[in-house]
Amino acid sequence: MTAALTTTTAPATHSALVYDDPDQYAREVGGFLRDGLACGHRALVIAPSDRIARLRAHLGAEADPVTFVDDSIGYAPQWNCYRVLLDFAAKAPGVRCCVVAEQRLATRVPAEVLDYRRLEAAINLVFAAHPVDLLCPYDGAGLADDLLEIGLRNHGVLLEDGDPCANDHFHDPLVSLTALAAVVPPPAGAATLDCRQPADVAAARGLVRSSGVAAGLDPDTVDDVSLAVTEVLTNALVHGAPPARLHLYDAGPTWVCHVHDGGRGPMDPLAGLLPPVEPADHGYGLWLARQLCTAVDVGADRTGTHVRLHARTTR
Amino acid sequence: MGPGSQHSSVDLGSLEPGTHLCAFHRDDGQLVRSSSTFVGQALAAGDQLLYVASDDQVDGLLAALADDVPVDDALASGQLLVRSFADAYGTRRPGDLVAIADGFRAAAERSREDGFPALRVAARMDGLVDLLGSPAEVLRWERASTALQREIGVSSVCHYDLRLTDDELVGLLVGEHDGLSPEQADAPLATFVPVGDPWGLRVLGEVDLSNRDALVRVLRSRAVVAPRLRVDLAGMTFADVGTLTRLHGVAAGLPGDGWLVLGDAPPVVRRALAVAGLGHERMRLEP
Repeated sequence: MTAALTTTTAPATHSALVYDDPDQYAREVGGFLRDGLACGHRALVIAPSDRIARLRAHLGAEADPVTFVDDSIGYAPQWNCYRVLLDFAAKAPGVRCCVVAEQRLATRVPAEVLDYRRLEAAINLVFAAHPVDLLCPYDGAGLADDLLEIGLRNHGVLLEDGDPCANDHFHDPLVSLTALAAVVPPPAGAATLDCRQPADVAAARGLVRSSGVAAGLDPDTVDDVSLAVTEVLTNALVHGAPPARLHLYDAGPTWVCHVHDGGRGPMDPLAGLLPPVEPADHGYGLWLARQLCTAVDVGADRTGTHVRLHARTTR
Repeated sequence: MGPGSQHSSVDLGSLEPGTHLCAFHRDDGQLVRSSSTFVGQALAAGDQLLYVASDDQVDGLLAALADDVPVDDALASGQLLVRSFADAYGTRRPGDLVAIADGFRAAAERSREDGFPALRVAARMDGLVDLLGSPAEVLRWERASTALQREIGVSSVCHYDLRLTDDELVGLLVGEHDGLSPEQADAPLATFVPVGDPWGLRVLGEVDLSNRDALVRVLRSRAVVAPRLRVDLAGMTFADVGTLTRLHGVAAGLPGDGWLVLGDAPPVVRRALAVAGLGHERMRLEP
């Protein structure tokens, strides 16, 4: 336990592994987990089922203390992985965790990939002070270059043959996040609802429900998006500046609920990436939206604050 | 603008406690419409409603209400009271303003003791001119009511029959009230039904930014009387996270032996609770 106690005070690490084949994957990721467990750390793996199976086979009985979460749960939606990590860490406060996090990135649509870029950049800041070693494996043989580039840009360390090496391609995460906050205005054909008073939130919800069903979303998704729109629009009415407007439109493989208000919005690019620490009157809006929608864009321009909530219309 | 200078219909959904309204009807149909609107909005907000009229005058009102609010429950729980003038105010003499004020105060106090956030009154004023003797006395009575109601936070509507009231008096009566009670109003987003057994509240409809503070107001009024509350959510169709944090806040504010049971919460509410991750030792879901 002495090792665990001393290492909890060390800052977080965020490493990438670009693997070429399943054997290399099992060897390198298995070694990462073994090293952590040997130091008394707790281990969590969020990964696709075939990767989990491969790790279990490689580790044998050594896999027993490892917590495995399928990526279809851990990344549904993507920002849920922050929550999975926080919940896991909260079970043994102060004990260092080694975490492997990977999803089937190739199945993601562009809006989701954009949000994943933010997610990978923000991890460096959000979890900086947490006692956690994060390893993100990237499938070098299966992923397109633009997806592999996410791995290269956002990790301070690259794992090579079991050795952590400093990554020359690492970008300042705050600079990356600022660049990723660009605003896309609603298209001309969007359905628009003006919201000025609290009673208008119910009208907005009604429009989201009827339009969401018409857009082909399943009932649970419609409920989730209705709640997310309610929270973001409530923020706009309470904290933003009028006029608050809801625009609804298709954007390729996603259906978008776009909340626009005349206020200055959250200046902190990390706002709403973590839940409020204590139950509070506010602070849930954006965090909750990210737990309910497949992708969330937050940005500001001279006309005010834009929050775009995406729902997948295709699987 | 002084009291009574605003002559347009008020929004009953955002009525300040202590507002003194009037309404004028040309026939019984119009009376039933405006009075059922006022009563329905009061009951939906969880307030107690005292209807001052004779029993035979009240049947039409109850029939008109039945479509919108659970009238039988409201009568059974004491939320809706029908009283004659003498029973309501403790005197048969409407000219005895001191006795009436005392009766009014006692009724408002009893309402709070019974776990209602506020008392509202709907009264038929037929024959008041005859009883009081002159229009001047009616105006004096209304002026005293405005001051008293503001003091004790009781809102009301006074129903005047245009067939029995001349035009000049109508104008003067309008001047003695805070506004006109509307003949119709939008259905409220949610209805809060105080329940006596098990002690608590039934919520029907959606709760969000527009009405979550109204929900808290009713819950706190119930909690003052007995701190073990059951909130029946079977009829709740939506709750935003601000509503859930407020329920959490009510639970956290209960004494150590109190609790807040959320009964029969539908999937949409359970989902919101789970995603928000809100729990408290004195708040629990059943089943």
